[in-house]
This record gives sequence, structure tokens and C-alpha cells, in this order.
Amino acid sequence: MTGRRIELPLGGDANRRFIPLIVGAMVYLAALALAGTFALDGTIRQWSDNLRGALTVQLPGVAQEPEGDEAQARIDAAVGLLLETTGVLSATALPHAQSQALLEPWLGAGDLPTDLPIPIIVDVIVDTGARINYEDLGQRLEDVVPGARINDNGVFLSRLVTLARVIQLVGLVVVLIVAIAAVSIVVFATRAGMTSHRDTIELLHLIGARDNYIARRFVTHALSYGLSGGLLGLALAVLTLGALALAARGVDQALLPRLSLDLTAWVALLCVPLASALIAMITARMTVLRALRRLP
Amino acid sequence: MVRFENVGKRYGHGPEVLRDLTFRLTPGSFHFLTGPSGAGKTTLLKLMYLAQRPTRGEIEMFGQTIGKTRRRDLPPLRRRIGVVFQDFRLLDHLSALENVALPLRIAGARRERIEAHVSELLAWVGLAGQINAKPPTLSDGEKQRVAIARAVIGRPNLLLADEPTGNIDLAQGLRILHLFEELNKIGTTVVIATHDRSLISTFGRPELRLSNGELTVHKAPVGRPDEDVAELSPDADSGRRA
Repeated sequence: MTGRRIELPLGGDANRRFIPLIVGAMVYLAALALAGTFALDGTIRQWSDNLRGALTVQLPGVAQEPEGDEAQARIDAAVGLLLETTGVLSATALPHAQSQALLEPWLGAGDLPTDLPIPIIVDVIVDTGARINYEDLGQRLEDVVPGARINDNGVFLSRLVTLARVIQLVGLVVVLIVAIAAVSIVVFATRAGMTSHRDTIELLHLIGARDNYIARRFVTHALSYGLSGGLLGLALAVLTLGALALAARGVDQALLPRLSLDLTAWVALLCVPLASALIAMITARMTVLRALRRLP
Repeated sequence: MVRFENVGKRYGHGPEVLRDLTFRLTPGSFHFLTGPSGAGKTTLLKLMYLAQRPTRGEIEMFGQTIGKTRRRDLPPLRRRIGVVFQDFRLLDHLSALENVALPLRIAGARRERIEAHVSELLAWVGLAGQINAKPPTLSDGEKQRVAIARAVIGRPNLLLADEPTGNIDLAQGLRILHLFEELNKIGTTVVIATHDRSLISTFGRPELRLSNGELTVHKAPVGRPDEDVAELSPDADSGRRA
């Protein structure tokens, strides 16, 4: 009967019943932003792994006989030159069928017109430490196979990675803004609670309660709504991520990179409700202690 | 026990409500605090139960100078003071038992001890059958007794009561005053602010009289021979200004 901390019935305040919902909404936004950041992290790593030290050489295709002698001669000349170049580890021409498959998203599946000169693609792996003069290499390739062109993936990659990093930064800024908003909400809620229970707080103070004793009640309440709101927000975020994963399942990977979360990301997401509870507790405590210092 | 030295109190930029109060209450003394409305009785009590700080002067409680005491050291001093507020200040969402238990809970007493002591005290003030009642369901007299029980549950060294009989009939008022006398007998220093002249004359205790912010002390017409009377400043005497 007298064992519970019942002096301050904070949970009964009408306006405070909405606080877990607001915290839940914030955690939802923060969790989605964080998930996006982590998913992009994996994608960036994937892009870097796939494209680092790689470039492609595009040779003009041969209409009517894409796999005929002339085409093979161009391949041999280009591959031969590439393999003689210092720093080139391998050079492999893609089979004609694979080159065709790469065009399917744009030209559709099925038999392509035979008079369409589909370019020959040569995958080249270079030593990342080697200093290759691509301008000179391009010129020599042009000499042996007129119309040959080097596609250096580095520029494309760096722009893509920069874009992804900016998106990641935006995600982190969103998390930060949500955290600041959460602190503001907790400060507001705590102050409102202190105002509506001013007489009780003053009485507790006058009969000898230490500031910590009074603050503890607010901290416990903040833990309660921080955690419950946080779990609610996280549950909604996980549902949303699941729905997005389902929706993305049918999308071609050539158009949309595979966005997946690793264990670290899931652990980070699970920490969001804990962080929200912690932020709520610390903020409530500081707000109450600061206000109580005004009492004599 | 309580020592005031040239204490003055004003609110904001207004006039001084209390002026140059200098007095000392000895342990175990019993005083009535009287004076017309607005004389500063409640303000003086607030200074004594450390709800306010003086504008000037020095207050010493239980041997500690309040102005020099760190804020974090004040709660233990407050726990040595029991206060009966004029407006009771009971928490409506708590039962009578929980209200009375508050000082013990705050002091960190064990649950078993709290329940035993509180039930006993509520029975003593005649509320044995009301321990689970919430204040809104109690009469003013019953609320007053709950407030008194809360004030004395921690066996305070100093008991301050602001018009404790203002909301109850004479019989109940006398009963409560007898309760205060019992506490006083076991060493509690008591100061009771009241307008009720009949109580003062019935109990024959010295009177601290406030008027226009100044304090005088008056012995009871039929004083007790061993009565401890508040000491005023060196140049003051019984019935003179503090």
C-alpha cells in the first residue's frame, strides 16, 4: 500500500498519454533513417568491391556476324594489347549472348535484329596499385581496333559513392534532428508535469524530500514512455522495412541496388528504443533538477 | 533550537512584511503565534519551516545557520520540522494512510515500520476507520487530523501549525491541542499560529505576538512556573518589541 512511488501520479495526466505516441513516431523516423544509412553503407561497399580495379573496353560490334572471324580478330587484337600492358591482370571479352543480355532492359528480350552491331565488351581487371596511363592505352587500342573505347568506371563509381554518402549524411542529420525534437518534447512534457503537480512537488520538498527523490519519479515515467514509445516506433519501422523489402523483390538489380541490413545494422536499430528511453530519462532528470534548484 | 537575528522579509519590491525579528526558541518550548490578519504569521512560519529565505538577517535552526547551509543539506533539517498547513495540503489521490506515511517514505523508512506507525497514529487521532479514505471524502476536521498526523509521524523536533483549529469545532480543537501538548511533553518544540483567544487562555502558554511586522512576546496570564519563554533581543523584555 505504501511501497510504490505514488506521490506524483504522472501517468494519469491527459496530455502525457500522447507522449509515447509522439516518441514512437520519432523513433519510427529515426529507425527508418538509420536503416537507410546502413543499407546504403552495404551498397557502397558492394559497389566499391565490384568496381575497384575494374574497367571495361568497348569494341565496335560486327553486324550480321557478331561472332564471326572479324569480331574475333578485334577481340584478339584488343585482349592481346591489354594483356601486354603493365598493371593489367586480366582481360576477358564477354560472350555475345551476355552482351545481348545486358541490353535486354532497354531493348527487350528475344532475337535482336542481326544487322544491329552490338558492341563487344571486354572486362579488364587492373592492379589497383598500378599507374596506368589510360589516355595512352586508349590511343593504342584505337590503333589496333579503330573505334575502341575505354570506359573507366572510377569516375562513375566516385560520383555514385559521393551521392550515396550525401544520402547517408542526410539520414544521420534526420536522426540528429529527431533526437533534438525528442529532447524538446521530453523537456516540454516534464515541465508540463511539474506545473500540473507543482503543489505536490512543493509539499514533498517542504517535508524533506531531496531533489533526487522527486526527480526519480519523473525519470521513471520518462523511462516508461521512452521505452514503450520506442518499441512501438521500432515495431512499425521493422514492418515498413519488411514491406519495402517485399516491394523491392521484383525490381531488377540493374535498376535498384540490393539494399540489405547486416547484423550491425539490426543491432543499431534495436538500440534506438533504448536510446530513446535513455534520452528521455536524462532529459527529464536534468529538467527536473534544474527546476527544483529554484526552490529554497 | 530556533534563532532569528535581525531577520527581515519583503516580497519583491514591496514593504517589509517582517522587520528586525530577533528571538530564540528553546528546545521543548510551546508558544502561540498571534497577530491580526496580514501581520506576517504565515511568513514567519514559512521562514521557520524553510519554505522561504529571509531578505536580510540570519536564521539558525538546530544549530545550523541557514544562510550558510548548502542546499543539499537542507532536506535533513526539514525532516526535523513537522508542519500543519492552514490548507492541509493533503494529496487527494492518496489515502489517509499514504498521506501520513509520506514523511517516513521520504526518509527511507521500511514499509513494515511505516504501516505499523501510521496505522497506530491514525488510530490515535481518531481515524482508525478512515485509513483508506481519500481526502475528498473526509470532512475538514478529519482532513485536519490527517494533516496533523502527517506532521508528527516523523517525531519532529519542531512542530509548526498554522491555524490548526481553524476548520474544526471547539471540542476537536481542544483535542488536537492536547495532542500537541503530549508531543511537547516528549520534547517537541511547538509553535501554533492561531486567532483563537479561548484556546490561548485555556492552555496558558506564552504568546509570540506579531503586529506590523514586529514581534513581542507575552507570558500567559496564568503561566506555568517552569515555562520556557522565547527570548527576545537583549534590549527587549516581555511584552516589548523584538
